[in-house]
Amino acid sequence: MTGQNMATELSEISTFIHSIPPFDSLPKQVLAQLVRELTINYVRKGDYLPPKGVNEPRLYILRKGAISCLSSDGKLVSRLGEGDLCDAFYHHDEQTLSNSKITSESPLQVQTDEDCLLYSVKAAVLDEIGARFPSISDYFSQNSAQRLKNKMTQVNEEAILSSSLMNTAVSNFYQSPIASINAEKTIQQAAMQMNEEGYSCLVVIDKENPVGIVTDKDIRRRCVATGLATSAAISEIMTRDMYTIDVKSNAYDALMMMTAKHIHHLPVTRHDQLVGMVTVTDLINNEGHNAINLSSIIHKARTIAELKEISQLLPKLQIRLAKLGSSADHVGKSISAITMAFTKRLIAMAEYKYGQAPVPYAWLAAGSQARQEQLAHSDQDNAIIICNSMKPYDDAWFESLATFVCDGLAECGFIYCPGDIMATNPKWRQPQKMWHKYFTDWVETPSPKALLNSTIFFDLETVYGDASLLNQVRKKLLHKTQSNTLFIAHLTKNALNLRPPLGFFRDFVLKHNGKHRATLDLKHNGIAPVVDLARIYALSEGISAVNTIERIQQAAGTPSLSKESAENLIDAYEFLGMLRVEHQAKELMRGKSANNYLSPKEISKLEQGHLKDAFKVIKNLQDARQSSY
Amino acid sequence: MPSTTLINSPMFSWLLGYEAKRKLLLKKAPAGVLHDFLSVPLPNINTPIDKVAILAVDFETTGLNAKQDKLLSVGYITLQQQQISLKSSYHQIIKSKAQLEESNVIIHHITDSQKEQGQALATVVASLLQALAGKVMLVHFARIEKQFLTEACYELYGMAPSFPMIDTLALAKRRLDKRDVAYDPSELRLASLRHKIQLPEHHGHNALNDAIATAELFMAQMSKVNKDGKITLKDVLL
Repeated sequence: MTGQNMATELSEISTFIHSIPPFDSLPKQVLAQLVRELTINYVRKGDYLPPKGVNEPRLYILRKGAISCLSSDGKLVSRLGEGDLCDAFYHHDEQTLSNSKITSESPLQVQTDEDCLLYSVKAAVLDEIGARFPSISDYFSQNSAQRLKNKMTQVNEEAILSSSLMNTAVSNFYQSPIASINAEKTIQQAAMQMNEEGYSCLVVIDKENPVGIVTDKDIRRRCVATGLATSAAISEIMTRDMYTIDVKSNAYDALMMMTAKHIHHLPVTRHDQLVGMVTVTDLINNEGHNAINLSSIIHKARTIAELKEISQLLPKLQIRLAKLGSSADHVGKSISAITMAFTKRLIAMAEYKYGQAPVPYAWLAAGSQARQEQLAHSDQDNAIIICNSMKPYDDAWFESLATFVCDGLAECGFIYCPGDIMATNPKWRQPQKMWHKYFTDWVETPSPKALLNSTIFFDLETVYGDASLLNQVRKKLLHKTQSNTLFIAHLTKNALNLRPPLGFFRDFVLKHNGKHRATLDLKHNGIAPVVDLARIYALSEGISAVNTIERIQQAAGTPSLSKESAENLIDAYEFLGMLRVEHQAKELMRGKSANNYLSPKEISKLEQGHLKDAFKVIKNLQDARQSSY
Repeated sequence: MPSTTLINSPMFSWLLGYEAKRKLLLKKAPAGVLHDFLSVPLPNINTPIDKVAILAVDFETTGLNAKQDKLLSVGYITLQQQQISLKSSYHQIIKSKAQLEESNVIIHHITDSQKEQGQALATVVASLLQALAGKVMLVHFARIEKQFLTEACYELYGMAPSFPMIDTLALAKRRLDKRDVAYDPSELRLASLRHKIQLPEHHGHNALNDAIATAELFMAQMSKVNKDGKITLKDVLL
């Protein structure tokens, strides 16, 4: 073919290839070179790949049709459609390469589900291009878990870049002059100085050199709580290894350092001289409508009408958090914190209206709110645990409380739980001994159906009241679940009913009912299976955390879950969560109610690829769980 | 061939036609492109179609009459071992004195200035014959390619070989005729046939794109009828 016409003559094929990651990263000339190396095959329905007579390793690109990849034992691993890459025959001798990154993926059987038009290219050609363009070689040398990990790293970087703090210097935030105190002064003097000057943190100076830092929290934790005399020297309780940040750094670095070191105050230096102090609050306030701001407004609201007005900011907060590139984890925690603030405020209003509670109790959040994974205006799931000393006639008070709070939450956009898992239901408004009995029954005589309805109660958190009531129940419960394999087996069986739809992008498990036709239910097909797995790990290993990521982190390295699998699962979960948060942000911005139904058209080919990777990770762990019973 | 009577029978001579004519012309052909083309044997008609080397060809022309109209561009690609290799693809615009008629320019997107960048007819036909040697030509609606190539050969070499051809239009027509149901002739267009068997849309009226599209169509047609691999060249030859 003559060179001059190359670009135009095969432009159709070039355009098609260019739309598929990782080839979208190739410069035009290299793309043209790649296109010239393609061959076209037609494989009829029911035949196997590679096409007859093709023995050398090749990468296949599906131009038209559909294919299924089956594991050696005949299970569907993935289903591919137009624009998908099939690398099952790319690494010809992967099994023999001892240090190959891809040995974990076993050989696949690939069968066509429809007549297929396939493009393909020799592995040797791609390897040659990959040697010059690492984005290509990286893509094909990694398995799904690794590709997903790279994606999550990239997402985190984007979050950093999109934050306004990234472009703002620390000098815009620090307070100066710095409040300092001489090392010889006493703890009491330090506390007095804090009160007078309105600082919660002082830098401790010894012979004109800063030697440490002391906060009001240090006074509480290291002095009052330990019984140390307030006449002791301040140097006794100060933090000696003081972190500082240069005035030229950007605010985001400061926030990251404080987050990583779990500190709220950071001295700022210029040429190694202390010039000021920056606090977490200073930085976070910059981010606008944030969870902390909103919580404090909620706390000041006096009527349900006021709360209702504030609640309308919730979708805006969610959009803003999503736009800032916050992780789904962060969004979930922020929204859950606000729902908690609403609930607490409503309880306070109820206690004002009906008087003090007759006996100690705790208001519990169940499900996503307890796990701190709630998104704007999801349904309310709650319950009340009451001290065993309650008398039958006391229930009237709790019923009033429940009705007031649940109605108030509904006013604020948290719809009533369709399954009636609410404190207004007498069944879920019971003394502690009844809760003990509920859990004992669920664990000792598990019936799959009862479990299906009750899994929500394995994710409980105290919102208000006496936290020990729930903690005692949980402690006993975890002791039971750890040793009861029948219960775990039933729970596992239920959990595995929800499977990630591996062939989604072809014609697989789409929701066929009503308005969400041809969309993927991110919640039920992606996120819920991970939440369920995490719950099983937690209950089998006696982990008291309820947040999904925390559960997985704590289960990592236990017999239930390897460290590596835990990391992969968290990546998959965060990716799905991110897709959901982005999808909901788009819906909310269009003034629609947020849902979990993602249309495949909504996301890029690359994201579709990552979604498949995430599904594979989940499926593998589900399979592992299944085979352990 | 063992039996002389069989060879002399009109039926067999027709079947043997192109190979016999090739040998005949080879003796007369002057040294050069045409002689080289003719010296490569053509595939036996009993060869299973999967094993036949095929060159999918498409011409863009100024009109339908090979005597008056001119070749504008040539595109071709090989189909071998049931596989199309883009490396073998060729596309060339032909430089000729013929004025471009406005209506055709719109169809083919070849303007006069582009045509000036083209190559001489002799060069393009030489490339085509070189690629075609030993192969069967695959086209959609054979009349155009057959007549224009024959005409070009007479013009360039004073004689024209007989080209064995497969026509995807004729194959589709044969199937439709068999059904004995009336059909719209437009159903036989390349784009319509491709659409019907769910091949992707292609950008038509570019000689190379059409050649690739024809080759893909042929592979799809064969996948339907040749499941047992018994179809031979003879069964699909025009």
